[in-house]
Amino acid sequence: MTDSFTRRDFLKVMGAGAAATVLTGCGPASRYVTREPYTKMPEYTYNGQSTYYATTCRECAAGCGLILRTHQGRAIKAEGNKFHPLNQGKTCARGQATLHGMYNPDRVQFPAQHARGDATLTEMDWDAAIAVVQKALQDPQGTQFLLGTASDHLFDLVTDVCQAVGAPSPLRFGALSMFEARATLGEASRAVFGKPDLLFFDIANADLVISFGANFLETWLSPVAYTRGYAQMRRGDVRGHFVQLEPRLSETAAKADEWYPLLPGAEGLVVSALGKLFAEQKFGVAPAAFEMVDLAAAAEASGLTLEQFERLAALLLRAERPVILPGGAALAQAEGLETAKAILTLNALLDNLGKAGGVFHTPAAPLADSYHRPASAAEISALVKRMNAGEVNTLLVHGVNPLFELPAALGLEAALQKVKTVISFATFPDETALAADYIFPDHHGLESWGYQRVQTGAGQSALSGSQPVVVPYYNTRATADVLIAAAGDALPFKDEVEFLQSKVAALVEAPGGFYSAADLPSFWALFQQYGGWWQNDSSASAPSAAGALEKKLTFHAPEAAHAEGEHEEFSLYVYPSPILAEAGANKPWLQEIADPTTTVMWNSWLEMNPETAHHLGIEDDDVVRVISPAGEVEVSVYRYPAIRPDVVAIPFGQGHTAYGRYAENRGVNPALLFSAETNAAGDLAFGGVKVKIEKTGKKRPLSRLESKMGVYGFGEEH
Amino acid sequence: MAIPKIPEFKAEWKEGEEGRWGMAVDMDLCTGCQACVVACSMENNVPFVGEAEAGYGRSLGWIRVERLWEGQYPEVKMTPYQPVMCQQCGSAPCEPVCPVFATVHSQAEQLNVQVYNRCVGTRYCANNCPYVVRVFNWADFDRPDPLPNQFNPDVTVRRRGVMEKCTFCIQRIHRAEDQAKAEGREVLDGEAQPACAQACPADAIVFGRLDDPESRVSKLSRSNRGSHLLEELGTQPRVTYLKGGSNDRLG
Repeated sequence: MTDSFTRRDFLKVMGAGAAATVLTGCGPASRYVTREPYTKMPEYTYNGQSTYYATTCRECAAGCGLILRTHQGRAIKAEGNKFHPLNQGKTCARGQATLHGMYNPDRVQFPAQHARGDATLTEMDWDAAIAVVQKALQDPQGTQFLLGTASDHLFDLVTDVCQAVGAPSPLRFGALSMFEARATLGEASRAVFGKPDLLFFDIANADLVISFGANFLETWLSPVAYTRGYAQMRRGDVRGHFVQLEPRLSETAAKADEWYPLLPGAEGLVVSALGKLFAEQKFGVAPAAFEMVDLAAAAEASGLTLEQFERLAALLLRAERPVILPGGAALAQAEGLETAKAILTLNALLDNLGKAGGVFHTPAAPLADSYHRPASAAEISALVKRMNAGEVNTLLVHGVNPLFELPAALGLEAALQKVKTVISFATFPDETALAADYIFPDHHGLESWGYQRVQTGAGQSALSGSQPVVVPYYNTRATADVLIAAAGDALPFKDEVEFLQSKVAALVEAPGGFYSAADLPSFWALFQQYGGWWQNDSSASAPSAAGALEKKLTFHAPEAAHAEGEHEEFSLYVYPSPILAEAGANKPWLQEIADPTTTVMWNSWLEMNPETAHHLGIEDDDVVRVISPAGEVEVSVYRYPAIRPDVVAIPFGQGHTAYGRYAENRGVNPALLFSAETNAAGDLAFGGVKVKIEKTGKKRPLSRLESKMGVYGFGEEH
Repeated sequence: MAIPKIPEFKAEWKEGEEGRWGMAVDMDLCTGCQACVVACSMENNVPFVGEAEAGYGRSLGWIRVERLWEGQYPEVKMTPYQPVMCQQCGSAPCEPVCPVFATVHSQAEQLNVQVYNRCVGTRYCANNCPYVVRVFNWADFDRPDPLPNQFNPDVTVRRRGVMEKCTFCIQRIHRAEDQAKAEGREVLDGEAQPACAQACPADAIVFGRLDDPESRVSKLSRSNRGSHLLEELGTQPRVTYLKGGSNDRLG
């Protein structure tokens, strides 16, 4: 060093070094995370200097890439990974709040045994825990895994474990996939396009988007990617036009240029009528698929006027790149499968398959033989039946909270009593964990290795990688490591990292990658550094709908709710809370976020048209009893100006009886009102539920951002 | 007897002069998803207050996403989502009323800054803010362990009795400026990003330098879709709101 190299110069060099290491990955040498004293800082950690790690968000199954800012071994901020093909540097509210899940005071802190239903945990050591799992695997026929929709690496590992020991294949479930009616969409895709693969709707390049209840700016499929698509549609050379048809004006519908309040269950009739009108005006004759529909009957059943049908058909005729979206609520109906087919067939009629602004098959994800769709309600019912028949001796649950997310009518709670041993791997003492005999807590997603297949929002084939960004905070252990230890010689891996490397090895030679490496250790380092692996170019393929237009589709008018008399009935519309979704209720900042449409915080509410409320003599904050054939809940009323008078709505996400102090005993769970009825594809037909409303005479004020009036006297009896 | 000179406490601001840092919010793109609100709270150590306090209007969020209703069912419409944060006024009504100079105009960034350790909690500034974007710490809100592990060391943790508000993430501006200075260059457009703009999935929030006519935010601020909140008050807000358009053929 020369004399002229001053301290200032040294700092400059340090600054440049910091800039170059914005994306810092673990080198091959740092495969294992250990606790170190501050005198011996972990690799890449300097005092006062933040270190950034690329990983994957686990707040939903979409698999957005995150960059975690860590400082002195603590994770302090989640940011989007701008290289990631799915979210391109952006995040949603739930992704931002993921740290409130990790640094939450109510996590399960050690492996434990407890009496079912009892919240007091008796600590065990991990060797004893592994012995419990080992014992379960010795009875493979009686062992059943129930997994969540994230993370995919654990699903792959459990699949390997089940194959190795001869246990039944694992089931996956997530409430969001239930609300999206994934099985129905997949079955319709198989019927119309010949392949059950997931679909990608290129709204970014469309000039007309007509959505049947698809809440793609909230939770649908991959909300961050679809929000970017929405922004591109609006900002294109021509500002795209957006029409939403659904019974209540959602956060997504609030962004629409036109909103049509449609009666739930009439979507199929409307799609067919639109297809018929469009085809008759464009080609002079309607295809067989849509010729059966009677326009006047469709108008009568749906609540739309003939002029509105003409208006929508005119839009389709004038648009150059129209696309029609199949929202989950439209498919979760008795005739939902037919509706899904009708929507895909209408897309085929509009000739947008595989074209810019149209419908695509998403490419096969890396490391996947096929798309493993989350279980439908019918498949869960089959599991419940097996449990009731005493065929399941051990149920192992990870990444899902079925006692909260599934409708109570499916009878899982009673069936759990027939299972000898229930093992939960939950990070939180949720409802299912408290109904288990053992809780062997997994690390939080940010403390974990793993990968997630990106299947719903990117044209590229992409695998999003996870790595621990901090040392695990509590005495938790990776479920993968527990299973590998319990499976013993049945699996050829020493630990989770070795399993992941054995999987990822297949990608080292894969063509078209964002980066390439000569050997596995170098590839593995890049995989951590960039937070996954993906192809540069889109490989989304064009679906073919040969013959679909010739297959007849028939629909019936939805059963109308009894509108007259004392026993007035309403259609119940349940939608996932845009902020909490299926698992956000335990994060205090998400609870405090105002709902985008009602601005209510920290609670549930029932949306009711002000006219209806006036007619029933109900005011804001009045507590009503909502009664369905399956159950009842008591909830405060929010008079919502943009909902059909014959429909009431409740968001899904609150109503926990466990799951930490911020979630417990707060709001209601509308899944209690669902019946077990399914549609032809096996998805829950929750869209057809009818409810009665009874006044209770009580008042429970809702905290809302929009008004400070009405909360004084909060918590007092009225 | 000589009259003591009263110190200058209001920014010397000339009409028409461009401020250094500014923001443009495209309300046609904003989906009301609230990612900005959570991102801001995580970056700036903003506490949550709980259901009852939130109901009394004591939430401490530095941004709120506003929406109003127009018309009656079925001809009902929601007004475009509008994220409202401190408008960083060039002529800020909050500044002259502070008796202890806790809310001052910084000469360097030309931002309206809040000096927490000067603030004695008179709340005059919040009273005088036409945008209602200042929030007051009515209590030390409980953040049980281990939640404080997540605190951002670049941002002061505020205590009871202190007023706070959006800073345009001044710690991030400083980080970008220090970086640029170390490398002997100007700050690049987009290099300094407040947490809200960084998170926004629709890219509706754009941040940058208004004294650079070529920056994205400058171009958007000159858009004929743009307007300022309550600009008739002469506050010279530094945030431009862009309204939506329509499709000639379909709309």
